[in-house]
Amino acid sequence: MATKATISISSDIASGFGGISEEMTLTQAGTLTDIDSTTGFQIRKLAAASEVDLITMANELVEPEDSQAAKIFIRNIGYRDVIDKSVGVTIGVNSEPIGKLYGGDWMMMPLTTIDADDVTATPETADTVVIEYVMFYEEA
Amino acid sequence: MATTTAAVTLTSDLLSDNMSVSASTTCMKAGTTADGLDQMEYGYVDIASGTAYDIIGNTPTASKASKLYVKNHSTDETYYISVVLDAQAIGRLYGGDWMFIPANFHDANADVEITATGGTNKIEYALFHEGTVLVAS
Repeated sequence: MATKATISISSDIASGFGGISEEMTLTQAGTLTDIDSTTGFQIRKLAAASEVDLITMANELVEPEDSQAAKIFIRNIGYRDVIDKSVGVTIGVNSEPIGKLYGGDWMMMPLTTIDADDVTATPETADTVVIEYVMFYEEA
Repeated sequence: MATTTAAVTLTSDLLSDNMSVSASTTCMKAGTTADGLDQMEYGYVDIASGTAYDIIGNTPTASKASKLYVKNHSTDETYYISVVLDAQAIGRLYGGDWMFIPANFHDANADVEITATGGTNKIEYALFHEGTVLVAS
């Protein structure tokens, strides 16, 4: 079965846009071999408008191999079934803002897993919000 | 209201209890609960190896709720693009890989830059946004 991610995007912004539906199998860099390591699924409850590490690369129990085919999935799941789409959490890499996940939003992106390139989260407000995430990577 | 929906299913058997996650979100304008993203840019380009390019031609309005999808359609699994944002390396998309991120384009340097390696990479991209800084002719 391996590790697979399927995306489906639909939109009525442009009448000619037929949507996107794509699947990828997460593999090791430059090969067809399945990716073999994961942090496992984690959640983090945030209750302050300050930056925290979701993943501190240098602190991983198993050192990820740098600059390979790592991926991370992150989702803002709100708090206690309340999902507020008007406020969000800015996700960053090495403190560089990537973008803001509003309530219910999710993202899937590649990572370098270099020690300095920690994955960070900065809530817009001090209201409690829960972030769930899982990283897939190769062992060094 | 324009409606754009992005759904994902993620499955893995790396753990003994197989993981299966499904999520779907309606892409709204920044700070709103009832007004969806209403503009988009959709393209497919061949990127020759070795040179860095900005994947998005017109810079979307900063700090909004833009969403960016990029897929590397290269069939050679050794080909990849490096994704860089504001001089910060994000990661690599190998042939067959895709990414979907919120992109806030927070300043003039925050374009999404890609560099191809291995050969000419075939890249599909879609940006859903709420306005761009258009360049006067």
